[in-house]
Amino acid sequence: MATTTIDGRGSFCPGPLMELIAALKLAAVGDEIEVLSSDKGSANDIPAWINKVGHTHVGTTDKGGYWSILVKKAK
Amino acid sequence: MASQPLYIILSSGEHEKVHLAAMIASVAAVSDRKVEVFVTMNAVNVFERGLAPEERYHGGNYHDLFVANKVPDTLELFQMGKDLGELKMWVCSMVLDLKHWEVEKNLTEGLFDGAAGLTVFLSDAENGQLLSF
Repeated sequence: MATTTIDGRGSFCPGPLMELIAALKLAAVGDEIEVLSSDKGSANDIPAWINKVGHTHVGTTDKGGYWSILVKKAK
Repeated sequence: MASQPLYIILSSGEHEKVHLAAMIASVAAVSDRKVEVFVTMNAVNVFERGLAPEERYHGGNYHDLFVANKVPDTLELFQMGKDLGELKMWVCSMVLDLKHWEVEKNLTEGLFDGAAGLTVFLSDAENGQLLSF
């Protein structure tokens, strides 16, 4: 299992989501991807998208000024 | 249950309207939803091959804000929707005829699947949800 970090800080919706999706395409099932985002909309939207398409939202952490969203590829 | 296909008619050349269409199209496409975009009228000018981003748009109030805040490039959003999801883009054949343009010569490379008429697009859109910008 690998963990990759995407630094989407400074990018606006849907930039961080699109970067996550590109990374998911390359990841193996079970890999985790951490998305760093300073965009509050993305911090809300990314977990909703993850749940919709069937991956796992491991958790979101408020880092003060930005969020860390951890995703596990489930399929 | 599969989501309804999404059909978007894009006729405006204003940056914020083209951008909103790109946001909706790309996010829907990567959310396992089939998306088709019909580009017509002033919106066709946005996709003229060789234009710099600052030359593409006409009217609207958000262009400077988008640039200052490094909002994702509008045409790149469409491209990501195509690369990562099921997104097709069609340009209005009537506008191409009026401007004496061809998809392969005058429009941004790699974005368009071809030229189409409004009648066929509307007929296809009867099976999905239709938005217009």
